[in-house]
Amino acid sequence: MTNAALSDLRVLDLAGEIGVYATKLLADLGADVIRIEHPDGDPLREIGPFWHDEAAADRSLSFLNNNTNKRSITLDIAQPEGRALFEKLVATADVVVETFAPGYLDSIGLGYAALCTIKPDIILTSVTGFGQDGPHAHYRWSDVVGVAMSGMMTLAGDKDDPPNMPVPSQGYTGASIQAAAGTMMAVVHRDNSGEGQHIDVSMQEANSINQETAMQTYDMMKAIRTRTGSRGAIPIDIAGIGVYECTDGQVFSYLGTPGGAPWTAMLDWMNREGMAEDLNDEPYVTLIRKLQLSFLTSLARPDELQKHLDEFGGRVKSVGDLLPLLMHLHQVFGRFCASMSKWTLYEEGQKQRLMFGIVSTPEDLAKNPQLAARGWYQDVQHDHLGATVRYAGPPYRLSETPWSMRRRPPLPGEHNTEVYVQELGVPAGEIERLRAAGVV
Amino acid sequence: MTKQQPLSGIKVADFSWFGAGPICAENLATFGATVVRVESEAHLDGLRSVAPFPPGKTSYNVSGYFNNYNAGKLDLTLNVRTELGMKMARKLIAWCDVFITNHTPRTVESWKMLYEDLVELNPNIIAAYQPMQGFDGPHKYFMGFGAVLTPITGFSYLSGFPNRPPMGIGTNYPDYVINPGHTLVAILAALHHRKKTGKGQRIELAQLESSASPLAPAIMDYTANGRINMRGGNRLPHAAPHGAFRCKDGIWQDKPEDRWIAFGIFNDAEWRALVEAMGSPAWTLDAQYATHAGRKQHEDAIEASLAEWTRERTPEELMLLLQSKGIAAGVVQNARDMLEADEHLKARGYYVYLDHPEAGRNAYDGPPFRMSKTPGELRTPAPLLGQHNEQVCKEILGMSDDEIAEALIEQALY
Repeated sequence: MTNAALSDLRVLDLAGEIGVYATKLLADLGADVIRIEHPDGDPLREIGPFWHDEAAADRSLSFLNNNTNKRSITLDIAQPEGRALFEKLVATADVVVETFAPGYLDSIGLGYAALCTIKPDIILTSVTGFGQDGPHAHYRWSDVVGVAMSGMMTLAGDKDDPPNMPVPSQGYTGASIQAAAGTMMAVVHRDNSGEGQHIDVSMQEANSINQETAMQTYDMMKAIRTRTGSRGAIPIDIAGIGVYECTDGQVFSYLGTPGGAPWTAMLDWMNREGMAEDLNDEPYVTLIRKLQLSFLTSLARPDELQKHLDEFGGRVKSVGDLLPLLMHLHQVFGRFCASMSKWTLYEEGQKQRLMFGIVSTPEDLAKNPQLAARGWYQDVQHDHLGATVRYAGPPYRLSETPWSMRRRPPLPGEHNTEVYVQELGVPAGEIERLRAAGVV
Repeated sequence: MTKQQPLSGIKVADFSWFGAGPICAENLATFGATVVRVESEAHLDGLRSVAPFPPGKTSYNVSGYFNNYNAGKLDLTLNVRTELGMKMARKLIAWCDVFITNHTPRTVESWKMLYEDLVELNPNIIAAYQPMQGFDGPHKYFMGFGAVLTPITGFSYLSGFPNRPPMGIGTNYPDYVINPGHTLVAILAALHHRKKTGKGQRIELAQLESSASPLAPAIMDYTANGRINMRGGNRLPHAAPHGAFRCKDGIWQDKPEDRWIAFGIFNDAEWRALVEAMGSPAWTLDAQYATHAGRKQHEDAIEASLAEWTRERTPEELMLLLQSKGIAAGVVQNARDMLEADEHLKARGYYVYLDHPEAGRNAYDGPPFRMSKTPGELRTPAPLLGQHNEQVCKEILGMSDDEIAEALIEQALY
């Protein structure tokens, strides 16, 4: 624990779903994160799926993932005696992370100004759907609402379908990541100045930059970028660009784009496997030689296109002649892919600098040889489950202050005695009384 | 409010390009760092050539794609494949506190900018690398853009409707928040550690690992339970109904525009609130719908009936109505909504308008989080290519006019 980047920081974790990944990031970098769970139960523990599909407070997989390296106490901060205990904790803390509706903490006497009277340099990070102020500050949020209101959702999916929500819960993930960054920015400022401050994270704003070019497209051109489905901006099937079926799943290929090997290298491979069909004949030889991004973009520019067509020696005079050729190439390539395993296409293709990407299922991720070689997964013994649980590793490696799994995710109130009695010096009998009263 | 920003005095050498690196570096600039973005005319950032562009303008200084990720930076063109260019790059590295790159391991190795090379010049440097798969491992040299990374990381398989191919999220998604955001957290943690100990360090964010981190529960569902989750459209296991519902069409440029409202019902109280919002039509009073289990079982029918109701109303009207009943609901906004219609974003001043010498006055995404005492600020628009060559050469690299002229002649400043 001594060589962790944030080992000198204590964080009080009041975060709900929208912010719990932020406190995980801080805990995994070494901070002493104390998760404060309501005595009636932490709702995050009720979210499935569960370990072995057994719904229990210690088995929610998302809870386990988001609460590595944290301690847990139970406390109802809304009750006066609970608030008093919380204030004792604030006096020892550097950071408080919360995700209540704006104004709630103020209403129970624990807003930023109140916390400052206890610990003047406290950093309070508040994460909500829409931020602490503004006409929608009181709006209720959920992950899909964040994704919708941030402009991301309208860009995803087929135009004939409703807009796609990305795999849940990207709205919360974006908010949490920005919240962790904002918290750390405040820590750095405090290192220099001695002062804390209030960090305000809006899920809507946190995710707005995920619109890629849509915002700028409207601002500059008054055009609205819409969802285009699997083709993206390209209106026809181009061989080697898109999702292709394999024997055991799918790959995404992106051939003919800058930086990768040219399409001729792909043809060589198909020849080695005896699957090139008639692609070694004209006009396919010329087509394949030309099949790269500059040619593809010329399809929309008639003057440039003509120069390309001239190279076919009269066989291809127009885009109308070209399209069936491209379709045939796409189909032959599709048959090649369909005869191979996705892993072979991915790994053997990449070794030849052909831009294949496996369409990973969760199983593929679990078995990914690169992640295995890098030791990304960590197996942690869980006495309460009588089993080992495999966890994903960190998003980054730090050379001096490496990530480590110091402790498994906590059971509810697992550290009540440690924190209240041993650290805060509250008599054990008092804690027992508060427990019976539902405060702890 | 204090004048000192969190990163005042911090110097950043931004040797990255595209999205994941520059966005992280831009956030450093927003909070006070001096960021020198290093580019080269020999190898232009691809984003400079990608739409959108202001009407009638085509130079590589006016791409909205590039500009949105580079506000607040100084720009230096250096051709590190020339001896003098590399010498100047190394001087910049010696100058900086933080170095960032998302170039491939192959490129970083050829530039001799591995961490062990950098610490010779700058022992306490904080160096952040963002390779696609890592600087070690069997896939170290694998290639790809965001479009290729998204399926590899699992996002494509898990997103969208099950009857459609895994088409991804429509963008190079991990490039904009997940990867630059994680990198920012790591750099700030390293700055904190350096403040305590005086020591810098090496940060490696393998984009595959950073992007897969948010998908950990789905991976765990496989390793713990043997279950391979598949994309579930707009539904959620613990809510029903949940998704995007078609509303009354809008009009845009004289054509109908599809409009949608997004919301979900997470418990019975919310269901009752929805029923009330709809005026308790007969179909909602079916006893089967009173519980989550019942709503889940009949989700198709509920969605169809709901859609008839939403189809007659605008999403703005529905958002207002449902929110007033305590149901989280939001318009599926497009960029026009975000920039022009969203009163909340306007009141909060989220989008920042900056005057760029060639592109004109444009909107930029504002800081991704707000700080009460040291609010971030986008101080300058995106730089022109090589805009600060002379300034950086003189003030940072300490070069004389003659030396600058030599660098131009040798195409090092290129």
